[in-house]
Formats: sequence, C-alpha cells, structure tokens
Amino acid sequence: MTPPAPTAPPPVPEAFEPAGGPIARTWRAIRAPLVLFTALAVVAVLLSLGAERFPEGVLEPESVSPDGTRALVRLLEQDGDVDVARSSAEARQAVADAGEDTVLLVSLDHRLLPEELTDLAELDVDTVLVQPSVLALSAFAPGLDVTGRIDTGDALTPECALPAAVAAGEAGVGGELYTAAPDSAAVGCYPSATGDALVQVTGDGSTTTVLGTGHPLTNAALSARGNAALALNLLGADQVVWLRPDPAQVGGGSSMWDLLPAGLRWSVLPLVAALGLLALWRGRRMGALVPEALPVAVRASETTEGHAGLYQSRRARDRAADALRRGFREQTAPKLGLAPDATPEAVVAAVAERTGDDHARLRTLVYGDRSDPFTADDRSLVRLADGLDECSRRLR
Amino acid sequence: MAVTGRAVLAGFLAVAAVAISGAVGAWASVVALGVLVVLVAADVLLAASPRALRLAREGDVTLRLGDSATLHLTLANPTRRPLRGWVRDAWPPSADAGPRVPVQVPAGERRRITTTLTPTRRGDARAAGVTVRSIGPMGLAGRQRTLSAEWTVRTLPPFHSRRHLPGKLSRLRELEGQHTAMVRGQGSEFDSLRDYVPGDDVRSIDWRATARGDGVVVRTWRPERDRRILIVLDTGRTSAGRVGDTPRLDHSMDAALLLAALAGKAGDRVDFLAYDRRTRAQVRASGKGSQVSRIVEAMAPLEAELVESDPAGMVSTVLGTQGRARRLVVLLTDLNAAALEEGLLPKLPALTSRHMVMVAAVADPAVGAMAAERASADALYRAAAAERTLSERRRVTAELRRMGVEVVDADPEHIAPALADAYINLKAQGRL
Repeated sequence: MTPPAPTAPPPVPEAFEPAGGPIARTWRAIRAPLVLFTALAVVAVLLSLGAERFPEGVLEPESVSPDGTRALVRLLEQDGDVDVARSSAEARQAVADAGEDTVLLVSLDHRLLPEELTDLAELDVDTVLVQPSVLALSAFAPGLDVTGRIDTGDALTPECALPAAVAAGEAGVGGELYTAAPDSAAVGCYPSATGDALVQVTGDGSTTTVLGTGHPLTNAALSARGNAALALNLLGADQVVWLRPDPAQVGGGSSMWDLLPAGLRWSVLPLVAALGLLALWRGRRMGALVPEALPVAVRASETTEGHAGLYQSRRARDRAADALRRGFREQTAPKLGLAPDATPEAVVAAVAERTGDDHARLRTLVYGDRSDPFTADDRSLVRLADGLDECSRRLR
Repeated sequence: MAVTGRAVLAGFLAVAAVAISGAVGAWASVVALGVLVVLVAADVLLAASPRALRLAREGDVTLRLGDSATLHLTLANPTRRPLRGWVRDAWPPSADAGPRVPVQVPAGERRRITTTLTPTRRGDARAAGVTVRSIGPMGLAGRQRTLSAEWTVRTLPPFHSRRHLPGKLSRLRELEGQHTAMVRGQGSEFDSLRDYVPGDDVRSIDWRATARGDGVVVRTWRPERDRRILIVLDTGRTSAGRVGDTPRLDHSMDAALLLAALAGKAGDRVDFLAYDRRTRAQVRASGKGSQVSRIVEAMAPLEAELVESDPAGMVSTVLGTQGRARRLVVLLTDLNAAALEEGLLPKLPALTSRHMVMVAAVADPAVGAMAAERASADALYRAAAAERTLSERRRVTAELRRMGVEVVDADPEHIAPALADAYINLKAQGRL
C-alpha cells in the first residue's frame, strides 16, 4: 500500500456562507426582530388609544372600581353640583363659595391634621362624616362615642324618626356603631345591639350626620337595598362638597443622588465608558464562528431497541416467546444436523435423543402449543428462557 | 477595532481618579474621558494595518484519520510599523485547530506560525479564514481583520485493517506456490516448468518435459490473475447507523480497502463504486498497479446519505457501465431484511447471471449482547427483540446463499479479515 499522492483535493462549493454583502447580512439578521418590535409598538399604541385611566381608591369620587363612588357622584350631579375637594383648604373655600343648600361630605379624615378638623367643624354647613376617626368625632360631634362594631355592609332597619332613613328603609349600613350622650340632641338610626349605625346631631342651624361606614356609597353596594336612597337623602342638596383629602406629602429634602460628593457623581460617566470597554474587550470575537455540517449519530441497533421497547410496553409475551424459541431452533438445528425447514417432530425427536428429556415437555418448551404455559406472565417467560438456555447448554 | 484588558484597566483607573477628584468632578470627568478616547484612538491608528498583511500557506494536504497535519502560515508585514498582536487560524471545529496564538512581525519582515490539525472526522476541511488582531504600541487597542488564506485538508479513511495485510498476503503467496514453506500452489492456471526439488508433489511431475530433458521437471500452478473485482459501497441510510462509535459506512470502507490492497497485490484489477440513489464516487482501474490510493482518495469525502438506497439503479449501473466481462461484485451493505427483501433480492438474478456476487455486512455486537441478556423479564423482552433481528438476518443470509451469493457477515473487528479470507477462498477454488 503506497501512501496517497499529495494532490490538492478539488474545491468544495461554499456550503455555509450566506449570499450577499455584510449590509444584506445585517439586514437579514435584524429584520425579524424589527418587524416584531414594530408590531408590538403598533398594538400598544392602538390599545392605549381606547383606554381611559381612572383614579383608584376607597370612596374616590372618580373611581369606577367596586370601592369607588363614581356612580353616586353621577347621580348627585343630576340634581346639583358636586365639588370634589382634595384638602381641607379646598373644602373650606368650596363651602364658602357655595350657597345656602350645601352638604359637606368628609371621608378619610384620618389624613387631616387636628387643627384642620377643628377648622372644618366650625363651618356652618350640614356635614356627613363617613367612618370618622376619634379625633374627627370629637371635633364635629362631641358627645358621640364609638361603642361597637358589626360586619361591614350588614343590613339594618331604620327604627327612628329621621325622614332620610325612614324613606330609604333597610340599608347595608353595618360598620362602626355610635352611642350619643343621654343629654344630647342626637337622633340615632339603624340600631344594633351596641349602638346606632347612623347618628344625626343637630347643632345651631346645621346638622352633623355620622355614618359608621362608607359601604352604602360605593359603586358595588349602591344598587343594593335602600343604599342609594339613603345616600341621596343624606347628600341631596344643590351643592355637595366631597372632601377626600390626599395623603400628606413628605416634605422635600434632598435625594440620595444630591447627597453624593460631586466626584462620585461625575465618575458615572467614565464608569459607563469603562464598562463599555469591558464589554468590547470580552465580547469581541477573533473572527466569525465556523459552521460545520455534522453527521447523524444514530445507533445501528436503534430499530432493535425500538422493538424491545414495544414488546416491553405491551408486555407482548407471545411474540417475545416466539422470537426466543425461533432463535433457539435456528441455532440448534445446524448442530443437530437438521435442515432449517425440519418438521417440529423431527426437531423435538433429535433434541430428546441428545438430552433424554420428555417429548411432550420439549415440544411445549420449543414450540409451545395452543394453551402456552410460558406466556401467562413475566415469570413464566423467565422460566421459558431458562429452559431454553438449559437445553442448549446440554446440547453443547 | 478591538480593545485589550489594559484599556479596561485604564478606564477603571479613570473612574477612580474622577471619584476622588471632589469638587472639580465635572472637569475631571470630561478630561478623563477625553484622555481615554484619545489614547484608544491613537493606539488604533498607530497599530499596523492587518489588511496590508500578506499570507501564504504551505503544508500537508492529506492525512489519515487519527494523524495530525502540520500547516505553516507565513505572515509578511510590508508596512513600516511592527505588527504585534494575535492570530487565529480558523478551521471547522472537528479539525481541532487550536486557539489563537500571539505574533510579532517586525516591519518589512516575515514570520511563520504553525497550525496543527488533528481532525476527528473523515472528509475535507476548509480553512475558514485567518483573523489578525493588530495591537497598537501602547497595548490599549488595535485593529482586527479576517483575511482569506484558502487551503483544504483531506482526511482519509484510517485503514485500520492494514495490519491484517501481511498475514493475508502470505496466505495469497501460499496459493501461488511462492511461499518459503515450499507448499505447492493450489492455483488452477498453468504457470511454468521448473526442476524437481525433493518435497514437491509427485503428481505435478510433467512426464513429457522430463522425457525431453535430463532431470525431472515439475509443473507449477498459479492462481488466476487479471480478474476484475468491483467493490460497491452502499452509502444509503443503513450505512449511517453507528456500530460501536463509528458509522457502519466507515467499517465497510475499512474492509473494502483491505480487499482492494490484497486484490491489487494478487494482480487483480479493482474498480470501486459508491452508490445510494446515484453514483457518489467511482474509481475505474487503469492499467496495472494498486488502485488503493485512488480509492482512498475517492472515499474520503463520502458520507452516509439519509435516503433509501436504490438497488435497481445500482444493479443497472454495475451492469451498464462496467463492461461485459465476468467479475466479482462485492457489495458492502447491511443485511437489513426489510430493505433487502424489498429492494435488492428481486434485482439480484440480473447480477448473478453475469457476475460472481458477494455481499459483506457489518454485524452489530450490541444486538448479540442484547440477545444474551437474561437479568429480568424486561431484559428478556430486549433479548427477544434481538433474537428477532438476528433471525431475520439469518433468513436474509439463507435467501442470498440460495441465490448463489457469497455472504460475509461479521462484527466490525472481523469484517475486514473475513472479507479478505472469503476473497482468498474464492481465488483458491478458482471461482473468480
């Protein structure tokens, strides 16, 4: 065998280099992400065109969520004006600007300072307090105490002489319960075991109504029982000033960023540059990756393994036994000097002659019969294999 | 453009400098950035241009699988600046070309770098390009360019069965009567007359010639020479399956090469054909001498195709293009019952009527091991499936033998010598 002559092999056609210049290649690489991004942007813009954002929050007059009160505010606006105040100053201004027939609704009053509460209480206007804090209660309706609590929204009946409550009837006013001092001019409605859910105190020229919960006013509960009627009766006026104070702002101060020394702050610029260099240093490859067509890696015994899996999953004992017996016969027949197409009788007779076994037993072992005892279960199959192995050992 | 770790270090030093600069931070930041940009830009501009580099290659073109090829790449730097940096000679992953190497080429000089390829796969490997990264004098940044330096290295089949060649050749010489043991040749073709030497078979004494001369003269015999052999390699889907860790195709190639080498020495003419649905490679014997190097060369780029072979096309190719003389057709394929019964068996009579046909197949030892599994009931199902496969193989073998075809069925270790033995036996029997 002579070593092959070192002739240059024939050129192989370009198999992996994509056609076109670098621009075409770059375009091909980015066009799919570009199309996807554009499609996403268009969809996002289209979706945002139809959407209107509503503020969220408990008893928020603009909120359409279940705990908002936009529905009630819309109803009130049919008969009069609703002026939403976000601070006590705004509320006082609105009350001052309004006419005679005005109702001030105070919700979330824990966000107000004690002096603001006092200022509001001094206004000469009908006031509805929704679940007031203890401070607010003492400012607006001294002599009224929180004496109990039942589940929010529990239905109660008026059982009092207050026209607004009587007209509304049963309403879901369960919440905090109040009891007035015995000597005060207070009317308690919706009584429960430990107090009244709604108390109206009449002062000099104006009334203060305390409602133990804002639940009947919300969008979710407004349509239930007499809730809407009660709310409209309490708030029915030409001008409603709806006070829902915003949370107090944390006073200014300087941010973390401002507190850093100037040098550190300015070092962000070179830091970005240094990180960019780092990325370039580590990320820059020495030339493109080299592609290569790989051959398939499949075992030649794959189909045999597949057959084995099928036999196993179906517990195909009959076929397995048949294959084992056939293998035994094909290996045994040449040793016994028999032709491959020898009759079962001839094979059994030849084997019996060499091993001295019983004909009938051998026939069952080597050929099986109609009621094959070796395919009943897996253990029988093992016995069959053992029997065949034993037999071929003795024939050796 | 490429930067080095030194540039990154400089960047982070700039960060530290600005961070401790205090009140003049804004100025310090701008100055640091400016200095960084100027230094990097200067280094890029001052680096020797990799584009101007001249490349030249020399070295091995072919090698056997398992050996290493050494290639030399000469970098000539015609610029007036010294080139300092890195070079990566890129090859397909299976060529195992090694990582990048540092280089220094002074201005106007040349340097040589050596690439050692140790391919793990047969076939052609093409150089993918030489990437040169030229770093500037400060070592901060540089320029990078991928240059083209075309070269192809062909990895030939390993021919492991070469080690069997001496033994088989001595068997062949035994046939020819040239063996040192002075065993009479068993050939059937008359060769020459020579003087009787004690130990020669008295039956071979030529009495007529003896009567003419002084001494006793014997006839010598030699096996037939100048017979034609066609080795057909099936490259269809059945050749893709791996026996051990190597595709069946490669085992078949090994056996075919031993046969070709042996037949060449025996004075027969060997043709080669690789076929699945069309001719993949073909070598026709031209004149005397060994065809092995040409066959090896033709085998190198062959890969198993994932298509069903077309035996009808193969038979007509064998009958059509290879002349009308009787020859030995050795078909290296798999004894796959389904594929053979559907395809080859009906077409065989056309072939056997004109030629002597031998089918050689690589058996899978894994199937034999499966057939012997007895550990549990699940193992028995595997054993049964393996017995089924073996049984089908036996059936196809019997079928082929009935049609007058010689069948060689052996595991990868023994297929090459078994095929050689079968060939020698045919030669001894004068059946070629």
